Amino acid sequence: MAFIELNHVSFTYPDASDPALKDVSLKVERGEFVTLFGASGSGKSTLLRLLKKEIQPHGELTGKITINGLHQNENDGNEEQIGFVFQDPENQVVADRVLHELAFGLENLALPVGEMRSRIAEMVHYFGAEALLNRRTEELSGGKKQQMNLASVLLMQPDLLLLDEPTSQLDPVSSRELLDMLVRLNEEFGMTIIIAEHRLEEVSALSDKMVLMDHGSVAMDADAKSVMRQIWNSPKRLYVPSIPSLYLSSMNQDGEYTRDIPLTVKEGKKWFNQICIQQNKEESRVNHRSGKVLLQAEHLFLKYGKKSDWVIENLNFSLEKGDIYALLGGNGSGKSTLFKAICGIVTPESGRMYYKENRVKGSKNKELIQSIGYLPQNPKLFFLHDTVEKEIEATMERWSLHDRWEVELLLEELGISHLVNRHPYDLSGGELQKAALACLLLRKPEILLLDEPTKGLDPVSKKNLANLLLKLRTEGMTILMSTHDLEFAAQYSTICGMMFHGQITSEDVPERFFKGNFFYTTMIQRLFRGSSLHSILTLEEAVRSCAPGE
Amino acid sequence: MSNRFDRLHPLVSFCYFAGSITLLLAMLHPLFLGAAFVAVLAVTFIYDHGGNLRKWTVFIVISGLFIAILNPVFNERGRHVLFVAYNHRFSLEAILIGGMNALSLMSIIALFVTYNEVMTPNKLLFLFSKIFPQFAVLLMLTLRFIPLMRRRLEEISAVQASKGIYVTDGKLRDRVKNGMLYVQVLLTYSLEEAIQTADSMKARKYGTGRRTSYEYFIFTKTDLAALFYLLILFGTVLYGRIKGLGYLNVYPLMEPLSLSPQEGVTFVLFLLFFIFPFVVEVGGRIRWRL
Repeated sequence: MAFIELNHVSFTYPDASDPALKDVSLKVERGEFVTLFGASGSGKSTLLRLLKKEIQPHGELTGKITINGLHQNENDGNEEQIGFVFQDPENQVVADRVLHELAFGLENLALPVGEMRSRIAEMVHYFGAEALLNRRTEELSGGKKQQMNLASVLLMQPDLLLLDEPTSQLDPVSSRELLDMLVRLNEEFGMTIIIAEHRLEEVSALSDKMVLMDHGSVAMDADAKSVMRQIWNSPKRLYVPSIPSLYLSSMNQDGEYTRDIPLTVKEGKKWFNQICIQQNKEESRVNHRSGKVLLQAEHLFLKYGKKSDWVIENLNFSLEKGDIYALLGGNGSGKSTLFKAICGIVTPESGRMYYKENRVKGSKNKELIQSIGYLPQNPKLFFLHDTVEKEIEATMERWSLHDRWEVELLLEELGISHLVNRHPYDLSGGELQKAALACLLLRKPEILLLDEPTKGLDPVSKKNLANLLLKLRTEGMTILMSTHDLEFAAQYSTICGMMFHGQITSEDVPERFFKGNFFYTTMIQRLFRGSSLHSILTLEEAVRSCAPGE
Repeated sequence: MSNRFDRLHPLVSFCYFAGSITLLLAMLHPLFLGAAFVAVLAVTFIYDHGGNLRKWTVFIVISGLFIAILNPVFNERGRHVLFVAYNHRFSLEAILIGGMNALSLMSIIALFVTYNEVMTPNKLLFLFSKIFPQFAVLLMLTLRFIPLMRRRLEEISAVQASKGIYVTDGKLRDRVKNGMLYVQVLLTYSLEEAIQTADSMKARKYGTGRRTSYEYFIFTKTDLAALFYLLILFGTVLYGRIKGLGYLNVYPLMEPLSLSPQEGVTFVLFLLFFIFPFVVEVGGRIRWRL
């Protein structure tokens, strides 16, 4: 009997017309690493929550869930320990100090103090977090916070660990660290792990089993390699990570797969060395910059408190008309602060800013505010009113816009005209983002500042966002965005910058930018590193320039 | 200076602070209060690591002066009229009472500076989680949520400023309206996010039964001796106070300031209570030398 068994489980939220889960049957063996993936709203979170009784959503549940051979309702007291890590690192935190946060779960179990202390000592040592113990939780970066949340759950010694998009808010290095931690737990302790994820680049190689959810039912359930093969020939092709995509697209011409599908860079290189590469003429991407400087910052210095460290230190930056500028960098490297300085929300201590060669003075510069549209990292904070419609009306009033027809057209184009009467918080991440974008685009800004627009988006929404950005660019919009999604940056940006320690330490067109990086680079670039095709970054380029020979 | 006072069991430190404040409020005698003020200042000076005393100095002096001046301004009672200004009699009695109240208030504020240094939240958590486990969680959540809400409000006003909506600029009516909207968004948003916090608490078995507390302080023999020291002194001085010692009768007839032998003993015990932290430090040093 499998460790976890779901038998024909259906679940309907109260007042919902359609069930969130439809006839789901799933088996998970002890010690397996299972990845759930699929579009937002396909039922991944609901499925995870149903497995943990304490946080089961209200609604109508039919079917049978058994864990370790016991039905969920009959194993009171003696139940298996299940740990749950949520998506948002911030909201899971209860205590003000790291130590109290770690102890929280143990205190709830009413453990004796001695045992608590030894468990915490051990776990802190394992995580190497001695120095953080007495820090305030709010001072930690997102990545560290998520590790703390994981540690706090692990202290309760779970047999089963459930994670709901745990890396979606983390930078590439932090999310790699978190995944490494999960691999260790899985391999060294045989802990059963079920993780819901959108970014499959890294988890696909770690998973024993991948489950594709589609509209509340399990569409596929198999090991990673066969799932890749199956979805490649289905409309869900966008979910396939870049290395297997490259393999599958190059093999497609022959129609047969001679080898296992490579999932990791290592396997990819092995495959890659066995085939001859017929190198097409290298069409390097030309520098698309227009040369017309739209926005310029010189020697910016900024900090938040008198005694605190510089958040931005001697930063020089320029944005040219028509750029899609992708700003990369770790959590807390100052990207968001730079954005705020550019919009004039925070005033730098010193330095100059120019907009169209005019010096920008003081905060609340009316012209600047009108011509820059700023989408915050958390679009929820953008909305002051309780429906999207009211927010649009307020925007029209604020900027003296009267053309209602144009508004309808814009909403239609973004595909959100059916959502205008909803409360912003009831929208999904992608919809919320579009609604906020609609309010920004109404006032026809010249520059769009997008803070982490790819955060938490599934591949389909991400593709839609990319298409929207490309279209805006052809209409003359200049875009500056920060992102943790390197594949996205490599594919769609015209120029990339790396933010580190309050400065933009390197800046170049994507093909040169990613070439030298070790962590901050795409899977495809890692694959081609050291070969003659080292300037290839994205899947499209790779497919175009290497056709396998005999 | 080694910080032995800081390392005492939270119960002992708490008794010292609670006792000191009670005595400061109960006693009304210039000599008693003056001596207590000097002792409290000395204690604060030693335990104040973050330079907090300097930050508070202005507040302490101003509130002291305020009380000391206001009483004679509003109160004309008293036999010893010092001088008359603007048809107002300034009596020695009124100035004395004002001064004593000022001393007791200033001592209490100064004591709180030390209190904040010594009684850290985890000590409070430890003390109260035994009696009210739910209170401890509430305290912890408050400690986290106050800065969190403040940060969120800053975030909201930043994002709204980028949309051209301010509370610092424009017509008063618009500013008030925008301010209300900000707070409304802050509350809706925080409630929305708090659902996740609640889930995370439930997922870690909060509310399933009895709780224990991680904070752990061992009650040693030193703590027991210290607690006896404090309780005996406090009890004796309070008994004396009930008998009328350490209380200067001003009205209808002002008593002489000098202390009777009985009062002198009470004064010494009173002072011994206030210099308790020094006793602990010095006691520790002597034991080291021996």
